[in-house]
Amino acid sequence: MSNVAKRQTSGLDKVLRVALYVCLLGMATVYLAPFIVMLLTSLKDVEEIRSGTLLSLPSSLDFSAWSKAWNGACTGSQCEGMAPYFFNSFKIVIPAVAISTLLGALNGYVISHWKFKGSDLFFAALLVGCFIPFQVILLPMARTLGWLGIANTTTGLVMVHVVYGVAFTTLFFRNFYQSIPVELVKAARLDGAGFFTIFYRIILPVSTPIIVVTVIWQFTQIWNDFLFGVAFSGFDTQPVTVALNNLVNTSFGGKEYNVDMAAAIIAALPTLLVYVLAGKYFVRGLTAGAVKG
Amino acid sequence: MASLVIENVKKRYGETEILKGINISIEPGEFLILVGPSGCGKSTLMNSIAGLEDVSEGRILIGDKDVTFSSPKDRDIAMVFQSYALYPNMTVAANISFGLEMRKVPKEEREAEVQRVADMLQIGHLLKRKPAQLSGGQRQRVAMGRALARRPKMYLFDEPLSNLDAKLRVEMRTEIKKLHQKLGTTIVYVTHDQIEAMTLADRIAVMKDGEVQQLGTPQEIYDNPTNLFVAGFMGSPAMNFVPAKVVEQNGAYALELQATKPTVLPFPDQESLKSYLGKEVLLGLRPEMITEPQPHKEGANFVVKADIDVEVTEPMGADTMVLTRISGAEVNCRSNPAYPAKAGETIPMMFDTSKAVAFDPANGQRIDG
Amino acid sequence: MNKIAAKAGSGATQAGRPARLSLADWMPKIVMAPTAVAAIVCIYGYMIWTAVLSFTNSRMLPTYKFVGFDQYERLFMNDRWMVALSNLGVFGGLFILICLFLGVMLAIFLDQKIRAEGAIRTIYLYPMAISFIVTGTAWKWLLNPTNGIEKMMIEFGFEDFRFNWLSDPDMVVYCLVIAAVWQASGFVMALFLAGLRGVDGEMIKAAQLDGASTFTTYRRIILPSLKPVFFSALVILSHIAIKSFDLVAALTNGGPGYSSDLPANFMYAHAFTRSQIGLGAASAMVMLGCVLAILIPYLYSELRGERHE
Repeated sequence: MSNVAKRQTSGLDKVLRVALYVCLLGMATVYLAPFIVMLLTSLKDVEEIRSGTLLSLPSSLDFSAWSKAWNGACTGSQCEGMAPYFFNSFKIVIPAVAISTLLGALNGYVISHWKFKGSDLFFAALLVGCFIPFQVILLPMARTLGWLGIANTTTGLVMVHVVYGVAFTTLFFRNFYQSIPVELVKAARLDGAGFFTIFYRIILPVSTPIIVVTVIWQFTQIWNDFLFGVAFSGFDTQPVTVALNNLVNTSFGGKEYNVDMAAAIIAALPTLLVYVLAGKYFVRGLTAGAVKG
Repeated sequence: MASLVIENVKKRYGETEILKGINISIEPGEFLILVGPSGCGKSTLMNSIAGLEDVSEGRILIGDKDVTFSSPKDRDIAMVFQSYALYPNMTVAANISFGLEMRKVPKEEREAEVQRVADMLQIGHLLKRKPAQLSGGQRQRVAMGRALARRPKMYLFDEPLSNLDAKLRVEMRTEIKKLHQKLGTTIVYVTHDQIEAMTLADRIAVMKDGEVQQLGTPQEIYDNPTNLFVAGFMGSPAMNFVPAKVVEQNGAYALELQATKPTVLPFPDQESLKSYLGKEVLLGLRPEMITEPQPHKEGANFVVKADIDVEVTEPMGADTMVLTRISGAEVNCRSNPAYPAKAGETIPMMFDTSKAVAFDPANGQRIDG
Repeated sequence: MNKIAAKAGSGATQAGRPARLSLADWMPKIVMAPTAVAAIVCIYGYMIWTAVLSFTNSRMLPTYKFVGFDQYERLFMNDRWMVALSNLGVFGGLFILICLFLGVMLAIFLDQKIRAEGAIRTIYLYPMAISFIVTGTAWKWLLNPTNGIEKMMIEFGFEDFRFNWLSDPDMVVYCLVIAAVWQASGFVMALFLAGLRGVDGEMIKAAQLDGASTFTTYRRIILPSLKPVFFSALVILSHIAIKSFDLVAALTNGGPGYSSDLPANFMYAHAFTRSQIGLGAASAMVMLGCVLAILIPYLYSELRGERHE
């Protein structure tokens, strides 16, 4: 095959090949441009922004916009920058990711290896839950959080993220555990191991890849959430996305685009970092999550 | 070592009945083989014995103890799976000792047991490896080692050799037989390979459609199959089934069939044919009973010489299979490779009907008196 | 539960023997219980609750005075809702079409044994890792009518270049499309690339031996075999479109006026800031209806496919 292909390589093919690369690299530039513009803008001062264009380089590296975005910019009535909200996000994300991943792992284990009458139905019901527009549950959830006394707290947000994240994590783990042969669990049962022993000694040790995928997926989803954040958080418990939106839409005096851009990059940094470091797992999560949407 | 009694066991999934009342009972130390085509229920029965599936009806007794509702770990059974089911994250040693660990056996004893088993199966040099680093045959040994380590009352083998290549399969088959002779343990062994069944079993249960068709020693099943299914399933090449008419000749019942010329064959079980006189039956004759003419057998009872038309010959080394057509049915004959049978020619063959059986074509059951 | 009933039933024929019931047997059910309760209450319970609210005249607080379909009538008489719905049509349609087109194209291009494929793929996909709020913030600056792309183009020498869609009520919805496509098209590319890599190599060889050109092979053999990928990409993209809320909040905040509102923003505004809980609930139910209309056929075909395996 490859010999035939080589013999047919002609001048036209070479031109097409060059065009292909030009096209691909051009698109890459388009995808990269917004981030480059953000970065450039965040390093300019207000005067330079007004006089220059999007792509003009800053005359000197000026990090004052960054420090202002971090701890001085106004997000609504407060002017403490992004820092407190950045940490709020971690306070929400870490427990929510941990709990939803653990629950997902256990659920997936049951659904794939301890089937009982109704477990498949339960799974189907849970899957449908992945797809509903969350607008449908906003109002009742707000009431419920009020009754439980955890409205406007990070605890409340953790709970919401766990409840609506567990469907995805269950799906991830179920699909992965489905590929573990049932004989493995049968053998362990005959060896005398019980439900949790099998999970802990046999299943969990081989689950590392799916745990990484799930943690990354959940981290990205919850970190980037805006809807739950804006609906259920209080002034001092806002996650970083809500704070960023407030910062950008707060207009005391002139618009400081450099601060806006610095704040936006700060808000995007953790998930971007995860993407750069563990892109393979991130993509795997995306395509696996694709089944559910 | 324990006896096993399976009493009227039924298993239903909704409307479909997978096991339709199984009755099997074996003595301590017996080697029982469950054999049958896929979907016959043999694996379900195996899982029911292990306690991995609940039965819908009936009882299972292991060593006189009713275990129908016991959980798998309380049945004291070990199982070897077709996929081996080795724990991928554990070393070979850990795999073997896991069951002991679950039963809270002290560490020193576990190590001693691992050593004993490893010596017995010659896998001592593999103990520190992970399953992924083993070959198919080595995995198979480790899986057996894991079962042996617990010294359970009974072993279950679920098609343990079907993932091995042909040569290794024969080797491991012999090894399992030796092991059974040495340990004298009770073994229930599922396979769809009738050669494995013949070579290994003390007794064979041939299953089809959730029912035991026949339970007996390999020789009983080979010589006296109860019906067409069992007769056709056991033996390779399969038993020949030839339509034949029951006639009376010289005061005895005999079978008339159409080889090159009409041929009448004597039949050993006279009593059974009585009510079939003048009717059509299916003659069951194993290929090795139709051979080239052998002078020393000539004139013996139940031996008849007749011409056949050779359609195809298949040399197999030790024998040559000669295919012909008798009474419209394809028939396999087993001849000496030196016998000059050629496709398209007509040659004499010797029919030995001393072990022939007859089946009722209406219901496929063997005709006996 | 049924299992126990079955056991009790068989117990009748074999009197006097205890069913096997221990804590260990209940463990799987106990482990699933919290999720099951959460799902039943927080998904299905709340859905019903919202449905109930949509039939009441609740304003700032939920009340349970039922007014039948009044809220739905009000909803479809509401100009802002109709704008939001038609925006959804325009936004969703363009967003899905462009994403699919770009995604398929880039995936096929990347499938030609490209050097540095990994790096290029990483660049195409990174927007998917960041929040729509960040995307909105970035594009708000890029599309800024005076200082954004327009100014850049003028500096480049295109004196008459005008680009003020962000402040033009008729064009602002296309700004949403641009930002959303930038964020999600790389994802569609990744889906299709994974699909292309899964196509049977022998099938392609067979097609080439039959004399098919590369173009024909893609058009006649490969792409038709990716129908399931098209289908799931379509479902995911429409799902993203219907749920779109954050992008609007960050990029346009619905403006100018309410010309770039989407249903999700309408729902949030009425339920949480304008004290129109009944109306908000009704709009949420319409959104749910839209999602179900797409989802049910999809799930149906998925589940049927699974059973065939």
